[in-house]
Amino acid sequence: MFKLFKKDLTLFLHDRRSVILSFFLPVILITLFAFAYGSIGSYNGRSEPVELLVADLDLTGSSKEIVNKIDSLEDIVVVVSDSVRSRELVIKGEYVSALIIYKGFQDSLKYGNSIPVELIYDRSREMEIGILQQNLISTIMSSTGKIIVNSSIERYMQDQFPDIDKNTRDAILKTAIRKDNNSLAVKWTSIVGERNDTKLGLIQAVAGTAILMLLFSVAGVGTSILEEKENGTIKRLLYSPLKGSTILYSKMLFAFFISVLQLTAMFLFAWLVLNMDMNVSMSGLILMIISTSFAVSSLGIFLAAIAKTRHQAQNLSTIIILVMSAIGGSMIPMFIMPAILQKIALVSVNYWGIQGFYDLFWRVLPLEEILPKILILMGIGVVMTILSIRLFRKRIMKL
Amino acid sequence: MITLKSVYKTFGNIEAVKNVSFNIGKGEIFGILGPNGAGKSTIVNILNTLVRPDRGDVIIDGINIRNDGNTIKLIMGVVPQEIALYEELSAYENLMFWGGLYNIPKPELRAKAIETLGIVDLVNRKDDRIKTFSGGMKRRINIACSLLHNPRILVLDEPTVGVDPQNRNHIFEVIERLNSEGMTIIYTTHYMEEAERFCDRIAIIDTGQIVAQGTLKELRHISGIEDPDSRGTNLESIYLKLTGKELRD
Repeated sequence: MFKLFKKDLTLFLHDRRSVILSFFLPVILITLFAFAYGSIGSYNGRSEPVELLVADLDLTGSSKEIVNKIDSLEDIVVVVSDSVRSRELVIKGEYVSALIIYKGFQDSLKYGNSIPVELIYDRSREMEIGILQQNLISTIMSSTGKIIVNSSIERYMQDQFPDIDKNTRDAILKTAIRKDNNSLAVKWTSIVGERNDTKLGLIQAVAGTAILMLLFSVAGVGTSILEEKENGTIKRLLYSPLKGSTILYSKMLFAFFISVLQLTAMFLFAWLVLNMDMNVSMSGLILMIISTSFAVSSLGIFLAAIAKTRHQAQNLSTIIILVMSAIGGSMIPMFIMPAILQKIALVSVNYWGIQGFYDLFWRVLPLEEILPKILILMGIGVVMTILSIRLFRKRIMKL
Repeated sequence: MITLKSVYKTFGNIEAVKNVSFNIGKGEIFGILGPNGAGKSTIVNILNTLVRPDRGDVIIDGINIRNDGNTIKLIMGVVPQEIALYEELSAYENLMFWGGLYNIPKPELRAKAIETLGIVDLVNRKDDRIKTFSGGMKRRINIACSLLHNPRILVLDEPTVGVDPQNRNHIFEVIERLNSEGMTIIYTTHYMEEAERFCDRIAIIDTGQIVAQGTLKELRHISGIEDPDSRGTNLESIYLKLTGKELRD
């Protein structure tokens, strides 16, 4: 078996395209995705702030207070403009959104009417809109809410208790709307991923891309069996004292070896170049690399086993790998996917691999907690291996 | 040396080999001729223990292939019809790999690889990758890879397909040299002149059955074409008479 393994390794190293596809391309993609997910190359590890056009047509104390509050937010930079120009700039795509505070804003707050504020935006830039929505709603609600409540109570007291003098009314209002009256406020505290310096986006970029690329290179190893069948070398191997099963096992061993090597190289790159925090369970990491490699390599061999020709195997592998990677979270993080897709993702090897690496690097869980995912990956590997052996005996080794 | 007794092999509904029997003596060159799909490759695969016959016996060097297929593989070399080589490896690397499968000790294998490269006249190209070789050179290395374990029997399955006359002649010389050293050779081909040139005996096979076998003289007698100069190549005339002129696709 070692002789076949050595031959496959020599052939792999002789084929520059395979080496590039297996090692250099994933490194480039991981770096690009890490940039895209905002984990490296941006200030303080955060995404760039969103520029928001603001047209304040009211120009009152209340409207200015709101604008100042929005401007003080970390994720938003206010760019003052007028309403016509703001619309033009959003339509041209130069800005994602504009907030227009119409005349009568302060009076509406005072009299409890609907607030004349409009947010115009470019629907195609959903991610930036999401950031804006989250920040604007909380800022506008907290600022306007207080003014609305204040004026409502004041109006009620004037109607119901017109004889109360102004000083007493102010004292009642002051007590009712205390500045520190925030007993209902929810305290937001992040408790996951606080123990290390690794950014979520970087973990997504490394794990997602590594598994995706792993599948492609391992599928290449799988299809090489069909290539060998087509050019007659499998037949010639069978003329020798080798057993058919040895030929298959050596291919599986080689695919597994390449997978381990590739995953290890990706994490080393992420650690040395992208500053990924490796202060995690080492036994967990080693077992995750082994189980992911086993699952992915058996899947790659299985994809070759179900095809009849090399051409068919290549096309089939590409389709299945892309679909599985898309639903399994290699291309898009799982948490932004619809619930139904998150359930479907459970059938993909990418999902279990990526979630395992999340557990390891983001949640910093110990080995015992990651073990179920490792066992699922090993289970996928065992099932795929058994199916591949059966299919290969039936299709490939039959002359 | 080799005996086939009433061998049958069926694949699904196709009877690939039907009641095939022949004997091949030690040091003989035995030709198997037949149109496409006649069953030549199935017979070769049965001899190499890759395909198990449904019925009948195959005895090679006193060993029944049903009992000890592995020993048969050690005494037999097969040159496949395809150029079954690794294009990205050099000629020497290919020889070392294929020879290594027979557990030949490394120093011995190295010496044997160089010796075999000498036989096929490619020592000066030993470090070049196969993908840089011409079709004829690849065919020669294809033969060399089957000689490393010193087989007593060599099966050549159409070894000269797509080869120019010079390379073809070189391959013939190699076969004749190996035979003169005592190697038993089984040669399947479509080319009549090749079989005529060096086969001691020939079996003509069609639709899985041997339609005639013997020396060229015996085949002439069986076919009734006694005059060698009557029509074109003699063996071709015999072959066409015995297998018919119908196209085999």
